[in-house]
Amino acid sequence: MNFWEYLGNRHQQLLADAYQHASAVFQCMVVATLLGVLIGVLTYRTEWAGNLAITSTATILTIPSLALIGLLVPVVGLGVAPTVIALTLYGLLPVVRNAVVGLRGVDPSLVEAARGIGMSRIKRLFRVELPLAWPPILTGIRVSTQMLMGIAAIAAFASGPGLGNQIFRGISSLGSKNALNEVVSGTLGIVILALLFDAAYVLIGRLTIPRGIRA
Amino acid sequence: MSQAAPSSSPQPDDRRDLEHGEHDEVERGFVGQDRVPRRLTWRKLLTIPAFVVVAVGVTLLWLSSQTLDSIARNSLSGVIVREALWQQIKLVAISTFFVLIIAIPLGIALTRSGLRRASPFFMALANIGQATPALGLLALLVIWLGIGVRAPLIGIIIYAVLPVLSNTIAGLRAIDPTLVDAARGIGMSHHGVLTRVELPLAVPLILAGVRTALVLNVGTATLATFGGGGGLGDLIASGITNQRMPVLVLGSVLTVALALIVDWLAMLAEVVLRPRGLEV
Repeated sequence: MNFWEYLGNRHQQLLADAYQHASAVFQCMVVATLLGVLIGVLTYRTEWAGNLAITSTATILTIPSLALIGLLVPVVGLGVAPTVIALTLYGLLPVVRNAVVGLRGVDPSLVEAARGIGMSRIKRLFRVELPLAWPPILTGIRVSTQMLMGIAAIAAFASGPGLGNQIFRGISSLGSKNALNEVVSGTLGIVILALLFDAAYVLIGRLTIPRGIRA
Repeated sequence: MSQAAPSSSPQPDDRRDLEHGEHDEVERGFVGQDRVPRRLTWRKLLTIPAFVVVAVGVTLLWLSSQTLDSIARNSLSGVIVREALWQQIKLVAISTFFVLIIAIPLGIALTRSGLRRASPFFMALANIGQATPALGLLALLVIWLGIGVRAPLIGIIIYAVLPVLSNTIAGLRAIDPTLVDAARGIGMSHHGVLTRVELPLAVPLILAGVRTALVLNVGTATLATFGGGGGLGDLIASGITNQRMPVLVLGSVLTVALALIVDWLAMLAEVVLRPRGLEV
């Protein structure tokens, strides 16, 4: 069976896997973004807290994903749970870090001016600081998403959802005729998803970055 | 030699995706700045090793309290665990060595005037490469080259060349052009400018790239098990497939410990090897 025949035969399975892959990454990324920005907002004003948030997230980032999943499996079992926890945790890191750095990078005189015209603390945060810190945060989200695409593939080993199953199917049937088709379709599918997500982020950036600070 | 103003070059945006979260530092010209302490205090120095010792100690204690069946006992015999750990270290060391001798000279070459025009091409390639999942790359290499150490090793190297390459290029590009002009002005040769001015100034960025590569390699090396390359991934994989939690936990804890120690050693190297003149 050549690759195109394989795609024709299995397109339903492949589309289902691709959809699950994308939806797992997307949902975890939404949670990670909300949590990450929240942590950033809570910690950036205090020197030690912000630094602690950055150092601890950077330290967690050094942990290999297979090992983190391996530590989660005894606690939460196989399947969707370890996948979701691992993806959210890894997705958090670049967002937290860029949120802290971005919020700290906001020109203090702008915040001062906002205060001067009578904006409350909450209003300053949502109308001035977060919009100005949004480009680096969005970059963090992009970096995270790309990373999660690959980690989600590995999570399939712990019975997680997605295109990783396709790759592992290929690995476990090495030497069979379909091994190459399975691995190529899984890998290519992930690359395509990653590129699509990246294109979506460029679009989101166009639409959401305030006009005044666009490069 | 003509130096493009940073704002007119299309690079900063392309570069952004490559580093794992280090892009904002690239823009400031200090990769790894907030991960490298300016001054080492005992607390900063000892936190990670102390944590690792405690974590491994607790795991070993917990293991000794578990009753192991024959499958778990076989996977956890001292010889097998030591062998897996040693294989993992070898995979990381060999791959990092090759990454450095490929990526750093290539990065230098791509910033020389002759080849500079080729570098956007390499950056685009690197960007697409970054979107490829490590697992998929590894699996393709295994199908192509067969089961064994070779395929995973090559996969690990390919995967880590990109961050070191982009950091080297970014580091050399971020150098103040007036310094290069000054060096040329006092009559230094191209070679002299490179070895006595540009490379020393790029050391922090290159070292940050090395650190990224080391950490990535520890992670990718755990995947070597799926291509028959051994390493600590063997313990994790057999723990999951055989549903033996002690095997899984020991494999994972040792992997985490190795990753943290490697990162810690790289951090020490960054502090020790950074040129004195660059300290703030």
